[in-house]
This record gives sequence, C-alpha cells and structure tokens, in this order.
Amino acid sequence: MILLKDVTKVYQTKTIETTALNNISLEVPTGEFLSIMGPSGCGKSTLLNIMGMIDEPTSGQVAIQGQAVSDYHTKAVARFRNEKLGFIFQSFHLINELSVIDNVELPLIYRRISGKKRREMAQTALEQVGLKNRMKHFPGQLSGGQKQRVAIARAIVGQPNIILADEPTGNLDSVMGNEIMDILLNLNKELGTTIVMVTHDETMARKTHRLVRLFDGSQVL
Amino acid sequence: MFSNYLKLAIKVLGRRTFFTVISLFGISFTLMILILLSAYMDAELGSHQPLSQKDQMIFLNRLMMTNEVIDTSYQIDTVMLDGVEVYDSTEVLDENRNSVSISSLGYYFCDNYLRDVAGADIYSFYSPSFSYDIFVNGKKLSFDVVYSDADFWNIYDYQFSNGRPFRQQEVDNQGQVVVLTEKAAQDYFGSMEAAMGEFIEIDGKQFEVIGLVKRPSNSKGFLSGQAFMPLTTLQPIYLDDDKNFQGPFEAVFLASSATGMNDIEQSIQQKAQQTALPDPENYNHLYLITSDFFGRYANSIFPNSDNDPEKSKRTFILIGGGLLLLFILLPTLNLINLNVSRIMERSAEIGVRKAFGAHSGSILTQLLFENIVLTFLGGAIGFVLAFILLHLVNDSNILGDTLLRINYRVFGYSLLICLAFGIISGLLPAYRMSKIHIANAIKQNNV
Repeated sequence: MILLKDVTKVYQTKTIETTALNNISLEVPTGEFLSIMGPSGCGKSTLLNIMGMIDEPTSGQVAIQGQAVSDYHTKAVARFRNEKLGFIFQSFHLINELSVIDNVELPLIYRRISGKKRREMAQTALEQVGLKNRMKHFPGQLSGGQKQRVAIARAIVGQPNIILADEPTGNLDSVMGNEIMDILLNLNKELGTTIVMVTHDETMARKTHRLVRLFDGSQVL
Repeated sequence: MFSNYLKLAIKVLGRRTFFTVISLFGISFTLMILILLSAYMDAELGSHQPLSQKDQMIFLNRLMMTNEVIDTSYQIDTVMLDGVEVYDSTEVLDENRNSVSISSLGYYFCDNYLRDVAGADIYSFYSPSFSYDIFVNGKKLSFDVVYSDADFWNIYDYQFSNGRPFRQQEVDNQGQVVVLTEKAAQDYFGSMEAAMGEFIEIDGKQFEVIGLVKRPSNSKGFLSGQAFMPLTTLQPIYLDDDKNFQGPFEAVFLASSATGMNDIEQSIQQKAQQTALPDPENYNHLYLITSDFFGRYANSIFPNSDNDPEKSKRTFILIGGGLLLLFILLPTLNLINLNVSRIMERSAEIGVRKAFGAHSGSILTQLLFENIVLTFLGGAIGFVLAFILLHLVNDSNILGDTLLRINYRVFGYSLLICLAFGIISGLLPAYRMSKIHIANAIKQNNV
C-alpha cells in the first residue's frame, strides 16, 4: 500500500516559487492499478517520483508498505527501492551500450545475487514480456514497443510489489501502446502487483481500477 | 557486478571516440613521463650495483674546522629612570666563529682516525676527485679516476664483465693496475676484448688493465669514473704524513644493520669531539659531516653553504616533490575536466541506476572503476611508449652512465601511479555524480 498524507512539493529558485503538488492525500491499496491524469505540468510525474522515493516532498508524509519515509538518501531507502519498486519511463531509459539481457539484469546487480541466478531471472522476465529471442540484441536494434517491453522486464525482474510507470505508452503508437498496456494489466491481474501509471491517454486510463486527476498540483478527482 | 562495470566501461570508451582519444593521449603521455621519471629515480636512488648495500652505508665526505672564540660585547640602551634618560649597558657573552675551513678528507686523517669506527663492518677511503686527459691515436679522452683501497670493491659491488678488482696486496705495493669501465676500454683500446692485460698511460705512468666493470647504473659524481686505481698510486703529496686533515678523500662505512648505522654516526661524532686539531691556534673545533646515501646524493645535487645533508634532502624533496606535483596536477585537472563532461553526459543513466537501487557508494565505485580502467588502458599505452623511449635514452647516452631499466619495482611504481591517477582524476566527478538528484537526472533523457 502507498499512503500519501498532505503532500506538498514546492520548487524554489532564487526568484520564483512553484507549487508542483498542493496538499495531496492519496491511498493506493495493494494490488490496485491506479492511473493519474492531468494536463502537462500539473504535477503527475512529481507525484509518481515522490511515491517512488526518488524525489522528496517539501512537506507531508509518505509511507510505502507501511514504512514511513523520512530520509531519502540512505542505503536502506536505496535497498527498499531495489526490492519493492519497479520503474517504467516514457523514454525507456535503457543503457544503449548494454545488451537487452544486461539491461534487464541492472536492478539485480545491486543485490547479492550470483551472475548465473541474475541471468536466469532476467531470462524469465524477458520471457514474460515476450522478448526472450532478443536477449543479445542492443536497444538500438529494437523498435519503440520492444524497448518499452525491455524496460518492463527490467522493472519486474526483481519481483517488486509496486510498479511506477510514467507515461509508458507515451512514445508508442496505439498498437504498441495497447500491447504494453496488456502486459501491465496482466502483471497486475496475475501477480497482484500494485501499479501506478501516469498517462495522458484516457482510453488507457479507463482500463485501470481507478483514475486520479490532478490540476495545478491539486487533486480534482 | 564488476564484470558488468568492466563491460560498460569498455563500451563507454567507444561512445565518444574523440573524448576517449584525448583522455587516453593525456593519460598515456603523462604516465609515460612519470614511468620514465620513476625509472630514473629508481636508477639514481634504488639499490642497484654498485650501491646494492646503500641502505647500510654512512658517508663521510666533508670535515669542517672552525676557530670559535668567546667574545664579550656590551649592549648599550637608553632607559627612562625617574623621568630622566639614562644609559644602561648589558654584557653579552657570545661564541663567534672567526674562521671556517671546509674540505674533503686528507689521507692522514682517514688513516689515523677513521680505522676504528664502531659499528662499521667494512670501510673504505677513496678519492673520486681526479681527472686526466689521455691521448690515444691523436684523440683526447677525458678520464675521471677513482683512487681507492681494496675494500672499496667490497662495499661498492660493481659488476665485473671481465677480470677482477685490485687486491689489498696490490694497494700496499703500489701496484700499477687499473680497472676500467667497459666504455673506457672501448674508447681507449677500440674493443673490450683487447683491453685485458694491456697497459694504459694515466698521469704519466703505465697501468695494466686487470678488470672491466659494466656501465654502473648511477650518475653520482662522488662515485663514478672511467678508471679505478689503487690509492697508493696517487702522487705522494696526497698521501704524505704531514698531519694534514684536509685532502681529496672521502670515507664510506658499511654497517651490518640499521642500528649499526647509528653506532657509526655516534662514533664519528665522538671522534670529532675528541680529536685534537693539528693547529689549535687557527682552528679549535672539528665537525665531521656524515650522511646516509640519500643525504650524500641530495647534497651532490643541491649543495648548501652549511654542507648540511639534511638541508639538501629537504631541498631535494621540496623541489622534486613540487615539480612532480605540478606535473601530475596539471594533467589531472585537465582529466578531471574531461571526466566531468564525460560523466555528466551519463546523468540519466546514473539516475536510472539510483532509481533501481544503486546507492551513492555503488555509483561512486562504478565511476571510479571505469576511470581506473581508462587510466590503466592509458597506462598500458604509456608503459609501451616509456619502454621505447627508455631504450632510445639509454642508447643515446643522454644521461651518461645512468642506465634506465623497467624492473619489477618500476613496474610496481607505474601501477601505483596509474591507480593514483585514476582515483584522483575520477574522484571528484564520480562523487558529484553519485550525489545527483535522481528525479532531475532522469529528466536529462540522454541514457
């Protein structure tokens, strides 16, 4: 479960203060597939980043799986992200110099797992997204949809409880977008993984359990 | 984990070929110079023939005689007493040096006062101060000659390629024998093979060549020469028994251990205090200036007016260290700059890694590891370049008798230099990147 209470995020420069999130309180139960929508700059990605503990709120409380987060820079938080969270980004963020399987292994490198075991787990994850035959390829040799599937494999390889997806279909055409959405729905249904997805696509959002709308940093739905 | 880092490090090198080439050039050139420098310093200060036992040697090459007298002087000041200015005088007793004489040692002094130095297993008296012009086939050769006793060869282990050193009996009997360096034999006789048993004229006398020594791996003026002859073949003026403490000689003492070296030092200083000077009216204090090998070496490069080897050591370390620091600092700063640009390009990748659980320490380790890989690659190129340059330097005789070698010690220094260079130049950019804000880094979108 993800619990946010009175979360506010203010970006401050020398001259300008911008409120990205304004008193957001939100609860995402375990196993839920939640989508977040809103216009550009309304704070969707900021909210997702705070849920993923890769950004810290200016005020308010965040608790993931019952664990309140106070210091975002400790080894323990890094380990928590590694074990409990998986991330999917709009522009995939694969490492072009590494092969598909090496990219998928990335989260496991930061666990004490043998190379052989890592490879097995990465193969399983790639199988789940239907890319087992592309293991030795490099990201540059893949289509956008394939890249996003590799990114999903990377997000699920460590068997996290929560997946945070920031516009996972934003850079894909509708066919590939649907394929990706099916994979995510499947993960949620079969493995019970909690998924929070930021999207601009109303159709995709309607496929999820619940929709939260943001406007100017405030929750409007 | 490290195999993954290695894989990525090698791939990252190919990402920006221009950056990589510039970095590798900078690293390899700098390391080539540093490897050559370490080879030079190893040749100069390492334990090589003829100085394999240098760490057990105490050198005594200077004595200082002074005339110190106690002077009384009066210091007159004005002070205010009851509002009236009065004069006040202070008597000052001070020890002043009226005259000072510094020189190397006379044979009389060595022979009479330095044969029973406590702690010394062996000792030798020798003079490296003589040079002669020798003419052969209309060609002039300049030979530096070292006159010594027989134990000189037991302390300094010159490598003989042919023949033998002279013996004590030959020293006692003023034997007309000489040991030449291979190069001197080549220059004088045309070939090394032809030299053995032949005669060479030095200082108007004929000397039989009884041994050839290989090019000694040092350039120390206090030890090197083209010819080595028994000290008894010197002109009598240098050996006469007129109680002269000063002359062209120096002494070296070999201790059996480090504590033995302290004993030697103490014993020599005791002698300085106890020895009665031959002309006490002119000189009433004797100082014997001893040093270890490093002090002797530093003093030959950076002599000072006090003849203090410790001061020479400090100057050597200060100037040498300063130059080295400057030489390392400039390319390191340049490399740090390059590394910052190279690593900043990867901020999104670092952000993703951190999002997936890498903590700052892992990122720091990874980036440092990559930088060390790059440095070692540059080091390997630098090592090959240094190897080639080293042979060119040796063949050209630019450094005289100093023969540069890449041995295991130099190889070890090179590895250390590579490691230090990699860590120093990579630490700052790696640290900055390890502290990067994840959300901001991911926004960079340039994995």
